Amino acid sequence: MPDLSRNAQCVLKILETKDSLTTTEILELASTEQYSDVCTDCAGGDAFVAAANQLVEKKLVTKTFGKGGYRWRLVRG
Amino acid sequence: MAAGQGLIDMVDWRRIRGDFPALRRRINGRRVVYLDSACMSLKPRQVIDAMNEYYEMYPACAGRSIHRFGEEASNAYHASRCKFADFLNANQPEECIWTRNATESLNIVASSVNLPKGSKIITTSLEHHSGSLPFVERARRDGLRIEIINAQEDGTFDIEDWKGAIDHSTSLVSIVHSSNVTGTVAPIKEIAELAHDRGALIMSDDAQYAPHHPLDVQALDVDFSAISVHKMCGPTGMGVLYGKLEHLESMNMFLFGGDTVRDVRFENGKIVPEYLHPPEKFEAGLQNYAGAIGAGAAAEYLQSIGMHEIERHERSLLESAMKRLLEMRHVHILGTDDISLKTGLVTFTVDSVPSAHDVASFLNDEFNIMVRSGWHCAGPFHYQMGIDPKMGTTRASFYLYNNINDVNAFLEGLATLIEVSS
Repeated sequence: MPDLSRNAQCVLKILETKDSLTTTEILELASTEQYSDVCTDCAGGDAFVAAANQLVEKKLVTKTFGKGGYRWRLVRG
Repeated sequence: MAAGQGLIDMVDWRRIRGDFPALRRRINGRRVVYLDSACMSLKPRQVIDAMNEYYEMYPACAGRSIHRFGEEASNAYHASRCKFADFLNANQPEECIWTRNATESLNIVASSVNLPKGSKIITTSLEHHSGSLPFVERARRDGLRIEIINAQEDGTFDIEDWKGAIDHSTSLVSIVHSSNVTGTVAPIKEIAELAHDRGALIMSDDAQYAPHHPLDVQALDVDFSAISVHKMCGPTGMGVLYGKLEHLESMNMFLFGGDTVRDVRFENGKIVPEYLHPPEKFEAGLQNYAGAIGAGAAAEYLQSIGMHEIERHERSLLESAMKRLLEMRHVHILGTDDISLKTGLVTFTVDSVPSAHDVASFLNDEFNIMVRSGWHCAGPFHYQMGIDPKMGTTRASFYLYNNINDVNAFLEGLATLIEVSS
């Protein structure tokens, strides 16, 4: 998806692996070696979560708030 | 009536709030609660008008074009520098250099000031990355020593640490005057005295201080001060470097090019430049005239209200916010709760929501309350406090256009978040 930022591509790649994840889980995974090729801007978390929110605007991802914070899901199909 | 209350009432804060067009917006049928001024302030109509006037009426080069537009641009550009010098109480306008932001101001000093080989730079764990990294890199470049003074857990400094660290090998002290994380105000005057007693220069990062407090660079006796105009009701892409003229004169240039030269001769096949004095020496190339004019308008706007009044107003809002935050379950405030030591901001974590980004997103999504989450470009202090920077902290910052309704909306939003999340 060339029109998506690198951070947004990182969020999508991580969400592909699970049914849903919390913000904390996404940020933890983004900082692992496994995603180091696309996830390069997660140190402060803000730019990364801003990119995730843009994916919600694009209807590629959904988020719901509950105990512990937001839970993010990929819109599949 | 409490002492000072009468002074507060002399300012018509409701009218001031009306100067800011962005606050008239409604999003999803709700008003906007803007509490991210420590990152970016809103802009009053007076600043927008001043910049529009330049673009609409005299959009020319200042300093060199001899036509009417050029003359008007030159006059406005110079007048803005004078207004800014007055705002800081600089000794003369030439001590104010236009830059892009405080980051650039800090970089100019870090890269261009003369520091003896083998000398020591001192900075702190509380600095914004823009305050520490330029000096870390300068030390690395020239093989200088660098010593970091740890802020205390409440964001204040122990003056004894400074007395122990600043010695006769110290060439420069760089310190954040008001922290963008804890809001704590450092004892700059005292530290400047210590630095000067031992022959060192002092650079004050005033990005957070200048917009919210009366700043008198002469009374504080700092050698350099860095300011971001976008945090003080002015345009983006504008900053100021204040420097005592003697230091600016002796510093190496940062950028070379047009407008920095008295003459460029061609002698025996060689190009031989002769450079101008400050401020032109540091302002190479075509300048951001509209930005400088907006900066002058912002300084004039804030002064017309009064920096003491703005400081008091923000602290009264902060006091209301802190009082309730301290009582809230799950909320932990970073830094001191002594309002008299703080700029009008509060940074906190919520232990029922591990990611500060979730706190900021929830307040924005549900209530149009705009706060900041992240590490606030202050990684070292987050690490020092044992806070994972990527989980971050949440910061609410108050400015002259905020009111008690904003504080209450923020507190109610936060209470809802805690109820839903815990």
